[in-house]
Amino acid sequence: MQPEPAVAPARMAFSDEQTLAALRAGDERTFRELFARSYPMMKRVARAHVASDAVAEEIVQETWMAIVTGIDRFEGRSALGTWVFSILTNQAKSHSARERRAVPFSCVAPSDAEEPAVDPDRFQKDDDAWPGHWATPPRPWQKPERRLLSLEARDRLKAAVAQLPDRQRMIVGLRDIDGHSADEVCDLLGLSQENQRVLLHRGRSRLRAVLEEEYLDAADV
Amino acid sequence: MVHDSGPPHNGHLVSEFDLPVDEVTCQQFVELVTKYFEGALQPRTMSQVEEHLVMCDWCVTYGEQMQATIASLRELGGEHSPEARDSVLAVLRARRADGA
Repeated sequence: MQPEPAVAPARMAFSDEQTLAALRAGDERTFRELFARSYPMMKRVARAHVASDAVAEEIVQETWMAIVTGIDRFEGRSALGTWVFSILTNQAKSHSARERRAVPFSCVAPSDAEEPAVDPDRFQKDDDAWPGHWATPPRPWQKPERRLLSLEARDRLKAAVAQLPDRQRMIVGLRDIDGHSADEVCDLLGLSQENQRVLLHRGRSRLRAVLEEEYLDAADV
Repeated sequence: MVHDSGPPHNGHLVSEFDLPVDEVTCQQFVELVTKYFEGALQPRTMSQVEEHLVMCDWCVTYGEQMQATIASLRELGGEHSPEARDSVLAVLRARRADGA
């Protein structure tokens, strides 16, 4: 088994130099492409601040309104992406202040609380024959022939993603669902590689465990 | 097989410097797998992980399950919101009409 090759990085949507000129000119095609490419990322970041998808969608729409109406005043002293991202986070913060969310977004770093990737009971203990080796090993999954996932597994995975803790959901979403690279995500959120990786690790571990349950349930039918 | 008892295997996120001299255990592998996929392990740990995978089919299965999970997540992507886009598009057009 080789280490997985990096997912092809989705370009951070606003980094194209011609984008600014096209937006100023009101070019519709540029707008449509940019909107589509950035929508998942913008919604994901907004969603980490607030309590619902609906509010996150509102925030993205408000941000785009601000971009389109304010683009003439944008002086280009910062990068376009930085400007857009600061509008997005300001909109999200004022919504979250109104909601009075308990966890401030500034705490994007993972918590210190331990969260093992796999239930420790599945490994042999210090007084067993092979400490640290599998006691209850993973069983290969029976996957459907032509698809990666059965429809049930896909639904279960979607639900599990929605239930991840906010920061894990955001990182798993940006990295694995939307396809941004580690560097892009760390840059966007001001996270260290290590912190980003811990959140990714915890999120992925939970999701693998959910799929494992799903496949075991399916095998028992 | 002689086993080096090493540090406690209680499943917390393993710092590479905590590893025992001789080998990576399964419980350590499941904590290192993300860093392994990112290509971010120290060379020594990397070779210990690869040695372990040569010998442990169960951890190979675990790694494949992790890859399958990631690939499945990729398939979930591509959310759209035509309504939001269209309402912003209307503003864009109105401004263009005004400014032209």
